[in-house]
Amino acid sequence: MTSTETTPFREAPIQPGDLLLSIENLHACVEENEILRGVSLQIRAGEIHALMGRNGSGKSTLSKVVAGHPAYTVTAGSIHYRGQDLLGLAPEDRARSGVFLGFQYPVEIPGVSNLEFLRVSCNARRQHRGQEELDTFAFEDHVRETMAIVQMDPAFLERSVNEGFSGGEKKRNEVLQMALLEPLVAILDETDSGLDIDALRIVANGVKKLALPTTATLLITHYQRLLDAITPDFVHVMAAGRILRTGDKDLAMALEQRGYDWIEEADGSDTLQP
Amino acid sequence: MSNVTQSRPRLWLETLLQVLAQWSGGGAAGQPAGARDWGLPTRRSEAWRFTDLRCLTQLDPTRLHTGTAAPHWPEAFRQAPSGQVSPRRLSLQLDGRGHWLSPQGEPPPWPHGLMPLPTGDIAPGQVLRTVIPSGTLLPLGAQLNGVTPGPSLGLQVSGPDPVHLDLAIQAEHAQAWLAPHVLLVLQPGARLCLNWHVAATAQAAVLPMVEARLGLGAQLEEATMAWGCPGAAFLGGSFIHQSPRSVYRRTNATWGWGLSRDEPFVRQSQGQAETHLHGLAVARGQSLLDTHSTVYFDGPAGRLRQRHQALADDRGHSVFNGRVVVPRVAQQTDASQLSRNLLLSTKARIDTKPQLEIVADDVQCTHGATVSCLQADELFYLQSRGIGRDQASRLLQRGFCEEILQRLPQSALLWPSLQSLLETPVPDQP
Ligand SMILES: Nc1ncnc2c1ncn2[C@@H]1O[C@H](COP(=O)(O)OP(=O)(O)OP(=O)(O)O)[C@@H](O)[C@H]1O
Ligand SMILES: [Mg+2]
Repeated sequence: MTSTETTPFREAPIQPGDLLLSIENLHACVEENEILRGVSLQIRAGEIHALMGRNGSGKSTLSKVVAGHPAYTVTAGSIHYRGQDLLGLAPEDRARSGVFLGFQYPVEIPGVSNLEFLRVSCNARRQHRGQEELDTFAFEDHVRETMAIVQMDPAFLERSVNEGFSGGEKKRNEVLQMALLEPLVAILDETDSGLDIDALRIVANGVKKLALPTTATLLITHYQRLLDAITPDFVHVMAAGRILRTGDKDLAMALEQRGYDWIEEADGSDTLQP
Repeated sequence: MSNVTQSRPRLWLETLLQVLAQWSGGGAAGQPAGARDWGLPTRRSEAWRFTDLRCLTQLDPTRLHTGTAAPHWPEAFRQAPSGQVSPRRLSLQLDGRGHWLSPQGEPPPWPHGLMPLPTGDIAPGQVLRTVIPSGTLLPLGAQLNGVTPGPSLGLQVSGPDPVHLDLAIQAEHAQAWLAPHVLLVLQPGARLCLNWHVAATAQAAVLPMVEARLGLGAQLEEATMAWGCPGAAFLGGSFIHQSPRSVYRRTNATWGWGLSRDEPFVRQSQGQAETHLHGLAVARGQSLLDTHSTVYFDGPAGRLRQRHQALADDRGHSVFNGRVVVPRVAQQTDASQLSRNLLLSTKARIDTKPQLEIVADDVQCTHGATVSCLQADELFYLQSRGIGRDQASRLLQRGFCEEILQRLPQSALLWPSLQSLLETPVPDQP
C-alpha cells in the first residue's frame, strides 16, 4: 500500500444509480480479535444510507477499514470503489479518489495550522481530479466561502488542527473538510453526536447540500434526530461485526421506540437489502 | 573535568592555548593564569558522558582565525540606515576582529535606553561569579571563551520601554574561532529583547558567552536561532543573575551543528523572580545537540517554566540535562520542567534527564519527560485527507517544532535560515 505518483484512476463522470461502494463479506481484525465478521453493503450514487447499532458493534471499525486505517487487518472479503479494489490503495489515495471519512473522534494535531492542513488536503484532492491547485490567497477565499456552509468562524483557520476545539467545533470542522474535498462517498461517523440543536441543523443542512445525485452518503448515527433532517434511503443495523438487518427509514423509527433486542432475536430474517 | 589522560585532546588544548595567547600578543608566557589547571572533559565525566568533543578537536588550532562574513539580514532589517530599524532597535554583526558593528560597518548609533557600560562599572567575569558557585569549574564554552582574547560588548539598559537588540554572527570560513562576549546590565525596571542569529556554514567554532544582571523588576527576553553545519561546533555559556520581580525568558532553536553544547545558568538571587526556558533542538544527520541547564533558587517564591523539545532523526543525538536547585531558603518555589522528544529513526538517540535537587519542603516542583515517535493516529488523520505519508510526517515534525518556534519574536522568524530547520516548505504536490 504505497502512495503512487501517478493517479490511480481519473474521475469518470458518474450517473445516478452507479455502484460506488461495494463491500462483500468483509472480515477484519485488530491484533487477534475479529471485529468485522462478514459485512456486505452496496452503496449507489444518489443514495443516503444510515448505519446504526449498539456501542461496540463495529460501525467505526467498518468506516476505518474503508478509509485504510493501518491498525486493522482485513482477513477476508473485499471492498470495491467504483469497480476498483480499494484495499490495495494507501489511505491518502483513497481520500484523493473521493472516499471521505468524518471521524467519530477527530484527532488534535498541535502545531499544525488548520488553514495549511485544509489547503494541502484540498489541493491533493484537486490535483487528483485534474483541477488546478489553489494558491494560498485563492484557497483562503475558497475556504471562507465554504465555512459559511457550516457557519464556522474563520478564526478557526488560525488555530492548530482541532486543538482545543469543543466537541461540536470538531464535528463542524469535519463537515468543512468534507465540503472542501467534495467526496463521492462520504462516511460520517457520529457527526451528529455532541451537537447542540442549532449545530445539528447546520450540520444536517451542510450534509444535505453535499448529498448529490452523483454522490453517496453513509451516516453512522445513534439518533433519529439526524434522520428526521436527512431521510435515509436505507437503514442498516449492525451487531457483532455483521449487518443484521436492513430496512428503510421506518426501521430507524422502530429502533428508536423498541431498542435493539427484538432485532437480535429475529436475527435479520427479513433483510431487504437491494 | 579532572580526567586528562588522553594525550591527543591534551595536546590539542595546549596548542590552542598557545595560539590564543599569541593572539593577545603575549606569546606562550602571556597565557592566562590557571589555564593549565583544566583540561578538556572526557566522556568519563558524568556531565559529558554522552557528548563527544571530536567535532571541536578536529579544528586545527594553528590555522584558527576570527574571520566572519556578513550575515544575511532579512530585508526588514536591511532597509534601515545605520543598523537602526526603529529608534528602539539596534542590529549589530560580529566583525573579523571581534567587534560588533552595524551592518553598514559603522559603530552603532545607540538607541534610547541602551548605551555602553560605563568603564570600570562592572568587569567581564564579574556577573558569572555571582551566578555559579565559587570553586566550580566553568563550563567548557565559557572557559574557552575566557581564554580567547577580544573585546567584550558591555551594555547598560535602562527605562521601561523595551529596547530591541539583534546580534548576528555568520561563520563562513573554515577554521573560524568566534568567541564573542556580551555583558548586559539591566537597570531596575528595564526591558531588553535580545535576538541572536548564529549561523555557521563551514567547519568552525562559535563560543558565545553572555553575562546578564537583571535589576529589580527588569525583563530580558532572549531569543536564539543557532544554525550550524556538520563540521561546526557551538559551545554556549549564559550566566543570568536575577533580582526579585525580574523576568528572564529564553527561547532557543538549535539545529545542524556537528556538536552543540549549550549551558545556561540562571540564579534567582533572592527568589521571587520568573524564569522561562524554552528550547528546541533538531538533530538530523550525525548532529549531537546537548543542553545542560541549571537554575538556582536562592530565595522564596521563585518561578520556573521550562520546556525542552528535541527531535532526533537519522543518526542524530539529543542530550538534555535540566538541573534545578531548590535549597531550604527557597520555600514556595514553583518550578515545572518538561522534556518532550520525538525519535524518528532507529539509529537516532535521545538522552534526557531531569536533575531536581530539592531541599525545601513547601515547594511545587514537577517534571516530566516523554520520548515518542510520530503518532499513528495523527498520521492517519492527515493521510485520510489525501496527504501523502511523507508530507504528513513533515507536517507533524514541523508542528512539533512550531510549539517552541511560535515563542520566537516575529523578527526572528524573518531569517531565511529558519527554512533549513523546517526543511523545504511543505509543497502542495504529494
Ligand atoms: N484498535 C482497536 N484495538 C482493540 N479493540 C478495538 C480496536 N478498534 C476497535 N476495537 C473493538 O472493536 C469493537 C468495535 O468497535 P467500534 O469502535 O467499531 O464500535 P462502534 O460500533 O463504532 O461503537 P460506538 O457506537 O460506541 O462508536 C469494540 O469492542 C472495540 O473495543
Ligand atoms: Mg463508533
